[in-house]
Amino acid sequence: MLTAKRKTGLIFFPAYDWEISPTHPERQERLLYTQDQVLEEGVLDIEGIKEFKAGLATDKDICRPHFCVPDVDSRITPSHNVSAGGCIEAARLVLEGTVERAFALVRPPGHHAMRVVQGARGFCNINIEAVMIEWVRKHYPRIKKIAVVDTDCHHGDGTQDIYWHDPNVLYISLHQDGRTLYPGSGFPEEFGGPNARGMTLNVPLPPRTSDAGILHVIENFVLPVIDDFKPDLIINSAGQDNHYSDPITNMSFTAGGYARLNELLSPHIAVLEGGYSIEAALPYVNTGIILALAGVDYSYIREPDLNPDRIREDPRIIDYIKNLCDKLLDMWNARGTIDVPEPGLQQRRRNIFYDTDGITENQNEVIRVCTLCPGAFRIDSNADTGYRILGVHIPWGACSRCREQGLSWFEDADADRYYAVYLQDMDNDEYCVKVT
Amino acid sequence: MILGIDVGGTHTDAVCIDGGAVRATAKTLTVGDLVHSIREVIRALDIDCRKVERTILSTTLSTNAIIEKTFAPAGMIISAGPGIDPRNYFLTDDFHLVSGAIDHRGREYIPIRPDEIRGVSSKLKAKGVSGVGIVSKFSARNPAHEQGIHSLIKGDFEHVSMGHTLSGSLNFPRRIHTTFFNTSVMPVQKRFMLSVRQALAELGIESQLLFLKADGGTYPASATELYPVETILSGPAASMMGGLALSTDPGITTLVMDIGGTTTDIGILIQGVPILEPKGVSIDGLKTLVRGLKVVSVGAGGDSCVSLVGGELRVGPHREGPPVCLGGPMPTPMDALAVLGSFPSGNIDKARSAIAPIAGVLGVGIEDVSRQIVSALVRNMRDKAREFIDEVNRYPVYTIYEMLHPELVEPRQVLAIGGPAAQLRPFLEDAFGMKCVVPGHAMVANALGAALARTTTQITMVADTQLGRMVCPEMGIDEKVGSSLTMEDLKKQGKGILTEHLALQGITGNLEISILEEQTFNIVRGFSSAGRNFRLKLQTKPGILDQWSVTC
Repeated sequence: MLTAKRKTGLIFFPAYDWEISPTHPERQERLLYTQDQVLEEGVLDIEGIKEFKAGLATDKDICRPHFCVPDVDSRITPSHNVSAGGCIEAARLVLEGTVERAFALVRPPGHHAMRVVQGARGFCNINIEAVMIEWVRKHYPRIKKIAVVDTDCHHGDGTQDIYWHDPNVLYISLHQDGRTLYPGSGFPEEFGGPNARGMTLNVPLPPRTSDAGILHVIENFVLPVIDDFKPDLIINSAGQDNHYSDPITNMSFTAGGYARLNELLSPHIAVLEGGYSIEAALPYVNTGIILALAGVDYSYIREPDLNPDRIREDPRIIDYIKNLCDKLLDMWNARGTIDVPEPGLQQRRRNIFYDTDGITENQNEVIRVCTLCPGAFRIDSNADTGYRILGVHIPWGACSRCREQGLSWFEDADADRYYAVYLQDMDNDEYCVKVT
Repeated sequence: MILGIDVGGTHTDAVCIDGGAVRATAKTLTVGDLVHSIREVIRALDIDCRKVERTILSTTLSTNAIIEKTFAPAGMIISAGPGIDPRNYFLTDDFHLVSGAIDHRGREYIPIRPDEIRGVSSKLKAKGVSGVGIVSKFSARNPAHEQGIHSLIKGDFEHVSMGHTLSGSLNFPRRIHTTFFNTSVMPVQKRFMLSVRQALAELGIESQLLFLKADGGTYPASATELYPVETILSGPAASMMGGLALSTDPGITTLVMDIGGTTTDIGILIQGVPILEPKGVSIDGLKTLVRGLKVVSVGAGGDSCVSLVGGELRVGPHREGPPVCLGGPMPTPMDALAVLGSFPSGNIDKARSAIAPIAGVLGVGIEDVSRQIVSALVRNMRDKAREFIDEVNRYPVYTIYEMLHPELVEPRQVLAIGGPAAQLRPFLEDAFGMKCVVPGHAMVANALGAALARTTTQITMVADTQLGRMVCPEMGIDEKVGSSLTMEDLKKQGKGILTEHLALQGITGNLEISILEEQTFNIVRGFSSAGRNFRLKLQTKPGILDQWSVTC
């Protein structure tokens, strides 16, 4: 009988009683046919592949990567506790050694949720991977370096934002070029904050990129970089909207391509993100991913309507991608020399739009440039809902100067200006809010 | 009068129920021929056979045929299309893969080819297979390919069965194994039925004949001939239903422990309904879709071998023979019980001499060590039971409601049946920390369970109003539906289907129809609603016939 090469855990949580709205892509039906396909294929009967129950993330788990305005409960529903909880369970299973690989096939998704959460954007309320990563760093301090490879069709601007300043979390995103698709970001020059240069890597791909193009990026850019970085944990944000049949995007990836991607990358944990071709793509892609993670032959998996000739890329796309990868690899190799920051404080101003809730936010962020630690930073966030807050972050392994700086930002915050002032003290696992 | 007979591996038990009470019981050794054992045990009952209205048999016929490989392997015709390679699930050279593919919504995207199928059929005929099983992927959503293949070949073979009629659940590999076993066992069952009917007739019994299934329910002989695979593993089901029948407090969640010589089988009753294996039972290392009890076995029984390992007492998991006090080779918990005065049938001197060396090594008295031995035995049972309960409580759930409101299984009493049950009762209460009941008639609980089990049937209905179709695979129903279909409509239709199906088998009265699963999904295409997808599983619940009373 079929046996898995690697013990693999599946956390399947389709949230059959939750939706953003009855006709929204994020609705109860989304994972129904995926479940049917996975059950009919008998995937869960394969020796070494096992299904586990999801868990519930706590408010504290959610406060680690986020400043939720005004508070956690206002920004989420129980569906988010379970979705993030499912990811945490996946991580726990791998780190405890119960399985070697895990797939959190959960909804709702999270990679558009940034550090400050003033509302929902891109169908995401909280960043489920970030909640999982911070849980891992709290409970398994031996995990120091983490790589997140985000292969969702959309740039994962939320995950990028949360780890922008973090030199220990490498964020690589492959996505349809932001000039042609939401959220409009994710370009090579977005290269990481002053203390984390090169730790954010963006690969914008042309529309109609197919298996050859995406796998070229994996083989010739992502794998060499990971080889160099040597992470303790590799996470794949496995959005499936790159599929040729996806209704809201323009790429041409196949289920076989997805399986091959996972086989090459061999992430410890895969997490579902987007992907709304619920009949023609998800059932096949997800079956392929589970088999690839487990090391079971996936070569007979194929979509009913697959026509390889129709979706093959124009050779010019492959050339473009080859050049792009070469350029990106050069940037990665030269990262110590690109845009080296002056000591002191660096400031960044941004506007963020929350499309799902129709909210606009202005952010003014200040970070302490530091060679000893990731650096303390503060974010002044002002939303047109009327909530203006200050969030202060004291990072993992903070040096004494950055800790002092963070604490004084928190203590000295102007009570009149802000609705509330937040502090994230990672080493002490303390997350406080002063409502002023 | 109701006659219940359980033919087990070692013993054959029989009970006769009349007017809601036990009138006669009998227990004989199972010797070789099953029909012979049945005939002998009925004779031992010494009843007026002409008054029997209902006979229920629980046998190991199918189980043995499969495990001992005494069945004639069926040929298989399988269509699948892309996915995991179906050849991974082929068991013999007579499994043939043919063209044809259906997707998860029941839409055909590769048709079957009649010529190819006729070719395969000829090959199988030349091979001389007695039967052919037909299985296609997603036949539970659309049985058309199985039905198409069936109509092409049915005249060529004596026994044919189709996957979708055996279960409406999804799982293609399990469907393949289930259909293979079913078809392969059909000739065995057919021969058995002829013999049994003849034997019963000779004894003067002209009654309704039913068989016990793995889920603790019964079904009529006519159904057994078509779906014999459902009788596999009916032994543990008989014990559980017997335990239920003898329970005075069926409303409490109960751990049922069937304590044998070598092993103890553990199951759980919730509100009088046994917990089933969620995906189906396994047999001979192969997984099936057969609905059966969730039972775990632990190597802990009355005759478990007692030894010392590294200076520590160990009980089981193996059995070397009967206890020393009955002439056996090595000490067992029955010897310990004999020392403590709980087992008068055993020779107490032999028991003491068997236990004495162990007591010597451990430096304690013989009575003390005997208590330790029995405690160790029941602790093994308790640990296994705990593992079982934890496993059930960790089953995945798919709604937020269930995540937030978990319904945990926590037994409140133990029901012990089997040989040493009575003697072990106080120890079981101690180890489990809850009441332990050992009912009267515990010796023939199996036969009682068979006699009193209700008839069970399960159907699956999947309706898709976008495609305008409703399929009930077990009944072979595939019909058009309108867009205004509601779940209520479906439930009403389902109840009607069940009622009619059972009435055709001569079963009427209080059917106790319950809903196992119901789900409704909006089908949305573009940004508007295109229809609804309904899934419904209905059953007549396992349980005990109404007219039974425990006082007897």
